[in-house]
Amino acid sequence: MQVTVEKTFPIEAPASSAWALLEDIRAVAECMPGAEVTEQIDEHHYKGQVRVKVGPAAATFKGDIEVRSVDPDSRQIALTGKGTDVKGTSGASMDLSARVVDAGDGRCELTGTAEVSVSGKMATFGGRMMNQVSDQILRQFGANFGERVAASGDSAAGEPSSEPAADRPQRELNALALLWSIIAGFFRSLLGRGKSTG
Amino acid sequence: MASTAETVEREQRLEGVGCARKRKEDPRFIQGKGNYVDDIKLPGMLFAAMVRSPFGHARIRSINKEAALALPGVHAVLTADDLKPLKLHWMPTLAGDQQAVLADEKVCFQYQEVAVVIADDRYVAADAAELVEVDYEELPVIVDPKKAMDPEAPVIREDLVGKDDAGQGRRSHNNHIFTWEVGDRAATEQAFTDAEVTIRQELLNPRVHPCPLETCGCVASFDKARGDLTVYMTSQAPHVVRTVVTLLSGLPESKVRIVSPDIGGGFGNKVGVYPGYVVSIVASIVLGRPVKWIESRIDNLSTTAFARDYHMVGELAADRDGRIKGLRVNVLADHGAFNSHAQPTKWPAGLFSICTGSYDIPAAHVHVDGVYTNKAPGGVAYRCSFRVTEAVHLIERMIDLLARELNMDKAEIRFRNFIQPEQFPYQSALGWEYDSGDYPTALKKVLEAVDYEGLRKEQAEKRARGELMGIGICTFTEIVGAGPSKACDILGVGMFDSAEIRVHPTGSVIARMGTITQGQGHQTTYAQIIASELGIPSDDIQIEEGDTSTAPYGLGTYGSRSTPVGGAATAMAARKIRAKARKIAAHLLEVSEEDLEWEVDRFKVKGLPGQEKTMQELAWAAYNDVPEGMEMGLEAVDYYDPPNFTFPFGAYVCVVDIDRFTGETHVRRFYALDDCGTRINPMIIEGQIHGGLAEAFAVAMGQLLHYDEGGNLQGNSFLDYFVPTAVETPRWETDYTVTTSPHHPLGAKGVAESPHVGGIPCFTNAVNDAFNQFGVTHVDMPHTAFSTWKTLHANGLDKRS
Repeated sequence: MQVTVEKTFPIEAPASSAWALLEDIRAVAECMPGAEVTEQIDEHHYKGQVRVKVGPAAATFKGDIEVRSVDPDSRQIALTGKGTDVKGTSGASMDLSARVVDAGDGRCELTGTAEVSVSGKMATFGGRMMNQVSDQILRQFGANFGERVAASGDSAAGEPSSEPAADRPQRELNALALLWSIIAGFFRSLLGRGKSTG
Repeated sequence: MASTAETVEREQRLEGVGCARKRKEDPRFIQGKGNYVDDIKLPGMLFAAMVRSPFGHARIRSINKEAALALPGVHAVLTADDLKPLKLHWMPTLAGDQQAVLADEKVCFQYQEVAVVIADDRYVAADAAELVEVDYEELPVIVDPKKAMDPEAPVIREDLVGKDDAGQGRRSHNNHIFTWEVGDRAATEQAFTDAEVTIRQELLNPRVHPCPLETCGCVASFDKARGDLTVYMTSQAPHVVRTVVTLLSGLPESKVRIVSPDIGGGFGNKVGVYPGYVVSIVASIVLGRPVKWIESRIDNLSTTAFARDYHMVGELAADRDGRIKGLRVNVLADHGAFNSHAQPTKWPAGLFSICTGSYDIPAAHVHVDGVYTNKAPGGVAYRCSFRVTEAVHLIERMIDLLARELNMDKAEIRFRNFIQPEQFPYQSALGWEYDSGDYPTALKKVLEAVDYEGLRKEQAEKRARGELMGIGICTFTEIVGAGPSKACDILGVGMFDSAEIRVHPTGSVIARMGTITQGQGHQTTYAQIIASELGIPSDDIQIEEGDTSTAPYGLGTYGSRSTPVGGAATAMAARKIRAKARKIAAHLLEVSEEDLEWEVDRFKVKGLPGQEKTMQELAWAAYNDVPEGMEMGLEAVDYYDPPNFTFPFGAYVCVVDIDRFTGETHVRRFYALDDCGTRINPMIIEGQIHGGLAEAFAVAMGQLLHYDEGGNLQGNSFLDYFVPTAVETPRWETDYTVTTSPHHPLGAKGVAESPHVGGIPCFTNAVNDAFNQFGVTHVDMPHTAFSTWKTLHANGLDKRS
């Protein structure tokens, strides 16, 4: 079960700041709801985990992140994340390529393409919601990323600053909240009032 | 024998053959007093829960049981490594292959059994199963059988690498199982070369599951003190299972007892031996306590016997008058990860060669290749191992397509090709001897009943208005009652069946058979056979099946074989008893046997009114006053090896209306005429036909077990899997003709699978008949509203003008 999602997020900061954050894999991971890097193996390999909470049940996906390419000239990064739920019931992988494009005027855009595939129970039961879920996760990622770049300040490069408590990334992906935002998004699109970015 | 009102009344009292009496088993069931496997509770019983693979194809790097074992109430966690010392991590399949009991180093299909947890109750077991940590390395997956034999295809069965035989002949690729050919290739080629018209069509019988109400399960109980093993099990073939368990366990067969209690539907889903049974038995032997394992619905739909996944290419050669000259079929059979089909040893494509159908086709050739894919094994359900549904689907679709090609009426083309009544016994081009049949009479009767001409007229009028109405016809021939043991065996055991009848001194009867009812009403039907043969009321006849320690050895119930084989054994055993009773009667009446005649329930001395002995009197005498030299008692056993299969047939008509805009199909009418020879209990037959038609409707109109490209099973719960209820199920009209089987003691043939086998192509033919008028040649099932809408949309038929 595989889906491809493409998204573009406007960022209220110069391209150089955004790129500085994008190069920091730990920081990027933390912009994904529920995700974190737990260990760096070498320059291009990390171990990480994603915690998902569906009501009272929590699942943890553990896996590997491989940075496939980093190109500072075109401000482009490609990475692959692959993991299985520790209970061994589902697997997920994502090929992500992201690029920062200068929009002038001290602003930029983050463009991302993600190929997400899932297997196991998640594919069997969650398959029909894959597109919407991936879309929502990326949207949250974009929002977190934008806030972090803004918080890092125009001049700061490389090291994430201490962000305000309210901006701290979520420590787990709350699937019910996610579901709600999907349903809300669905009705909004029906009413034609809002359209998802991208 | 003059039939007086008095003898007629006596005969009616017996409620024997031909009586539509109510089922003897129903009072129990409708009061909720059935006794299914999950109702069995033994002291000290533990529960098993499976850890299953989330992946379609993966290597197992490691399994960590610690967290599961630490959970209070957990007694054991077993993996393949634990079964290895016992050589039980693999088990033989009924098709000569082997299947992993618990995954040995790799998993080959999603939901494959990887480990089993044994715990105090089913909740602890389920919790602990989630705590077993398995580290997998995913491997490339094959779900499309057409890619299975690509040169670079990943190897699914590493255990078979280097073996050029997986139990069914030579194989040519690591993912190849067998090649099977039947028929005269040269004559068939010639027929195609000479033909005025040829047609070719790819047809798919997709993967479905019969989804019995009760899932599979067992309670295994090893008594350490006595050294014997009892297993209560959902099995359609308990005696075969006993033999398999004996071979696997090394216990003497006399110390293994398999009991099939009440079974909530089988449909072939309960023929096989599943890993759950094996691990429960092992756990019970190891722990010395009874162990229960019951499948969840998802487990049942995902891992136990499915049906079909048959990719066929059919070709017909014919003349311009629609007379078929040749049939050629090429099949790719997707058997999943292990060849756990249950066909007779010599028939890797089952009885598929019945695919010439009801038609006199002079030349035919069939080629079948079986392949492995990363899908669940065990194509046994719904006649999948016997492949009759597929065969009938093929020929019934092809003849419709030929009619379309020639612009000929779909009933007319059948009349032109039918095997005629005087041609029986008929030798088919693919080697079968059809026992009896009268196809034209059956079809004529149905066409008159539904006013076929009127329907065609209405259809033309609707076509003019742009409305879609379809008329499906199916005139199938079935092949049931496996089978002659010279042709059919399972694991070397010939496919006979058996009956043991004992008449008690006061004239009531206990009888046991080697078959096992799963809802077919054996307790009623067999009792009616004995009632007529022995003149004892069927109410006084008790039928028992399913306990291997009491019933005679039999091959079980599947493939509509109970009446053709078990019913024949019952009649033959009863006749042995009657022959002995005749000797006792002659002795008591002091006449010779030749002076006696049988009348309903007694022997009478010819020409001497009043000189008679009833069966009840003879039963009493059998235990105290027998002729000199005769042994006491009145009982008999018969192991019946049928001389041939039986060939029931039928003519079905289905009328559908299709909504152009939504794709919804409404079945307006379904008329089913079945000929199963002698009708033992017409009401049970009708019930069987209703059930079979409902299942045919389910398969044709909605059921599908779909795997995505990653080997993930989509739709293995009732969220997606279509099981029709009273809301969706159409109304059935049933009818019959009677053409008896010349070789069956009662003239009876099997019936239960006919409506399934004949029903599916009838629905498909109806939907396609609607489309044919608009230029669409063929659409595969399932005909869901979405699938039908896609066809409508692709052809611009859903446009509002």
